[in-house]
Amino acid sequence: MIRNYIKIAWRNLWKSKGYSALNIFGLAIGITCAALIFLWVEDELNYNTYFADSELIYEVPSNQEYDGEWRTFKQATPGPLAADLKRNVPGIDFTSRVRESGFLLNANDKSINKTGSYVDPEYLNIFKFDFLEGDASTALKDIKSIVITRTMADQLFGEDVHVLGESIKLNNQEIFKITGVVADLPPNVTYDFDCLLPFRNFEVDNPWTKEYGANFANTFVKLAPNSDFETVDQGVRDFVMNKFGEDDSVFFLHAMKDWHLRGTESYENGEPAGGRILYVRLFTVVALFILLIACINFMNLSTARSEKRANEVGVRKALGSDKRSLINQFITEAVMTTAIASLFSIAFITILLPFYNTLIEKQLTIGWDNPMHIIGLVVITLGLGILAGLYPAFYLSSFKPVDVLKGVRTTSGSASFIRKGLVIGQFAISIVFIICTFTVYEQIQYVKGRDLGYNKENLLRVPVNGDIVKNFEPIQQELLAGNQIKNIALCDSQILNGGNNGSGLTWQGGNDTENILVSYRHVSNDFFQTVGIKLIDGRPFSTDIAKDSTSAIISETFARLMGEGSAVGKKINRWGDDFTVIAVAEDYLYGDMYGTSDPVLFLNAPDQARFLYLRFPREADVTAALHQIEQTLTKYNPAFPLEYEFVDAGFDAQFKSENLVGKLSQIFALIAVIISCLGLFGLSAYTAEQRRKEIGVRKVLGSSVTNIVKLLSRDFLKLVLISVIIAIPVGYFLMDNWLQDYAYRIEFNFWIFLFAAVIALAIALLTVSFQAVKAAIANPVNSLKTE
Amino acid sequence: MITITDLEKYYATEEVRTVALNKLSFTVNEGEFVAIMGPSGCGKSTLLNILGLLDDPDGGSFLFNGIEVAGFNERKRADLRKHNIGFVFQSFNLIDELTVFENVELPLIYTGVKTAERKQRVEEVLEKMQIMHRRKHFPQQLSGGQQQRVAVARAVVNKPKLILADEPTGNLDSSNGNEVMDLLTELNAAGTTIIMVTHSEHDAKYSHRIIRMLDGQKVTENILSDYKSKVEV
Repeated sequence: MIRNYIKIAWRNLWKSKGYSALNIFGLAIGITCAALIFLWVEDELNYNTYFADSELIYEVPSNQEYDGEWRTFKQATPGPLAADLKRNVPGIDFTSRVRESGFLLNANDKSINKTGSYVDPEYLNIFKFDFLEGDASTALKDIKSIVITRTMADQLFGEDVHVLGESIKLNNQEIFKITGVVADLPPNVTYDFDCLLPFRNFEVDNPWTKEYGANFANTFVKLAPNSDFETVDQGVRDFVMNKFGEDDSVFFLHAMKDWHLRGTESYENGEPAGGRILYVRLFTVVALFILLIACINFMNLSTARSEKRANEVGVRKALGSDKRSLINQFITEAVMTTAIASLFSIAFITILLPFYNTLIEKQLTIGWDNPMHIIGLVVITLGLGILAGLYPAFYLSSFKPVDVLKGVRTTSGSASFIRKGLVIGQFAISIVFIICTFTVYEQIQYVKGRDLGYNKENLLRVPVNGDIVKNFEPIQQELLAGNQIKNIALCDSQILNGGNNGSGLTWQGGNDTENILVSYRHVSNDFFQTVGIKLIDGRPFSTDIAKDSTSAIISETFARLMGEGSAVGKKINRWGDDFTVIAVAEDYLYGDMYGTSDPVLFLNAPDQARFLYLRFPREADVTAALHQIEQTLTKYNPAFPLEYEFVDAGFDAQFKSENLVGKLSQIFALIAVIISCLGLFGLSAYTAEQRRKEIGVRKVLGSSVTNIVKLLSRDFLKLVLISVIIAIPVGYFLMDNWLQDYAYRIEFNFWIFLFAAVIALAIALLTVSFQAVKAAIANPVNSLKTE
Repeated sequence: MITITDLEKYYATEEVRTVALNKLSFTVNEGEFVAIMGPSGCGKSTLLNILGLLDDPDGGSFLFNGIEVAGFNERKRADLRKHNIGFVFQSFNLIDELTVFENVELPLIYTGVKTAERKQRVEEVLEKMQIMHRRKHFPQQLSGGQQQRVAVARAVVNKPKLILADEPTGNLDSSNGNEVMDLLTELNAAGTTIIMVTHSEHDAKYSHRIIRMLDGQKVTENILSDYKSKVEV
């Protein structure tokens, strides 16, 4: 029986090649698109599952209350916390402090800049790395030991060379011995590194880390295998509460599986509020909708063309077939069609995956060695086939043999009603996608065009290392002497990101100021000039550091907190030290590009600098400028190779998630529209074919081509118009919701809806009129003769 | 074999109710060849559909081999149909996507006959109908006469007790038509009961008995040949 089904299914597909191609192509695009999305979703869901016992690993972030609002911080715990938690909270097996840093590594006559972490030896008990050389239990015992990744070993010593026991010079100062080489981490792990060093090195250089007071390091814990998370988490909360004796700071455990998808960055008022998991869910829904749109094409084309199959249904029933075996037959046909589409989609996925990977910045593979992928494809194929085939199967198999064998018209009102409904559904989904695409794009452009309060163009950031601070004056003089650099300054934080902050400050004109979080920046005198932050009141820092060692420049927001009148001359006390305000700077935006900035306190302390900022004149030759910078820095800081980043590039990188959503929604909207149009194309061809005689008669009676095109297109355009009416409120609701997440957002624009509607109508018109024109210009004699 | 009593069938549209069968009664015995004649719209095709269990009567009784089948549901009707009844249509109604062999094979598939036996029985009947050489062709590649022979082959392959023929020569020229009538006569001679709807007096003469209908009722009945001894008038 099944062989008979397959045979006839194949012959039917072959016989009406045009419709089959439309169906198969539509389904193949749908499956391809869904499969690509599911690969991405799988990768996202698999984040941080690389390590054995990853379910026991936790990070310790904290919620802190400032001015009545809870903020969540990570990588900000006090130094002694790790050891204290292990000692005092039952259920914790291992803990480690971690402090990330940049390093200059020198070995084998090669110097490279790398990132690494200072960690405690137990770090290697928490994260079970794959040790290619050395032993995890002893690797970080000695203070001058270093564990590196395979890639780094290759870069320093050459590929596949045994490097255990070799020496590496760190930051051009001390020698460390390689005690371990670990396999590189896969890309879907949150914290990556090139090398690991014992934390004690950092502790020796920074004795303050031994005390509570400064939140500067990350703390990781690993629970005992049979411990209860709730109990341990409560233990951590209680311990810190008792330690600090205050309730405005809560430390808690954050599970490794949530680091990526439910990151603490997206916490709102101390509670989880979305995060990347929202995008994972969103795109899963999008994938399902795209499959649905492809399904609808199949349903519509199958039922529309049912007359062609009606006779067969009648004959089969007369010969003794019951309804069930006909349903089975039609579902077999649908599954076969989707199976062929799946084969095509495998080819499409193979071709598209490299481009897709570039787009989403991942290294996804089809992964045929993963049985889940094969099962997934089979499930999609079967599910899609059954879903697409079910309605046509029930519809076709319900034909009465008496009617169809006598040639009674089989088009039932309900089928055409459902068909119209499905077309409306398809286009409504597509139009919602179009609305989302425009809104996301507008929002991103809006934020990107936001006045940052400084000039991010032609601004270069160079990390400070070695002797740069010591030799800042000659470096500055030499670089400014050439005409490639306009300004140069030092700062202790990245201008794009939030740097250090703290509370407990008091100032003149402010009430209850202890609880306000203030950001502070240590800069050199030319900082404002260099980055382009305008001073609106007062004077810049003096070139003589000693003269302005107790002076401060504050941001406008800060100035407002100091009450009426000019803030210049007022006093600020930070933890016992008094500073006098000498100027007010315009607010600038950092950290959350959608939010507003905390008050900022600038101090004249270039010795704390971690970054060098350089401004090129607008007409600068960037290559020459970079060359000059490299020459000068090599001269005054010979051990370190030049590293740099353009601030505007860093700015663009801040919108990675939004850009991804933007790009993907553009693609999905396009695909939804294409698949919907394929269906419309098929349906309009069918309608034109069905009304051939009518068109012939109308033409004979004197109707013009335009009239006939109108006649044929009108009905379809009505459907698309109804879709527009449905899609607009849905799109508005979805996007309004999405925009609520952004403090700085666009106002909803009527033009977005109008534009989406016009695009959908125009594309639908184009699709339908192609068939309509073809039918209208045909010679009526031919169509009338065939009757 | 078939006894219908006061059989009724109506077709209703929103405005008009048409009576297709009006208290029609007659009996057909096993081995008989009956022709049903009458002008267009007299209800003969409706009758044939009901006899073939493709349609349900609105009233009256229909005994098939002594069993009342008037109230059967679709599944039961399909089951009875596939084991007992073969159809021959005016427009052949072969499935275009299947070859001659596959078309003839179809009823055997529905009755669950095993592959090897199917092959044997299909080939047997194709030989008998003299279209074995065309078994791999598709219907469109055959002449009308050949197509109707395939349709007859399909109707008889399951060895049904009853063949219902709806104007079997209506789409054929006279020589092809005669061939089909000869085939039906042979089948009847071998024991198959045949009920045929026709407009053709010529074809009707092949039968034992002609029932003439008008407006859903039987008007006359002519007994043509010696089968009459078995007929209960």
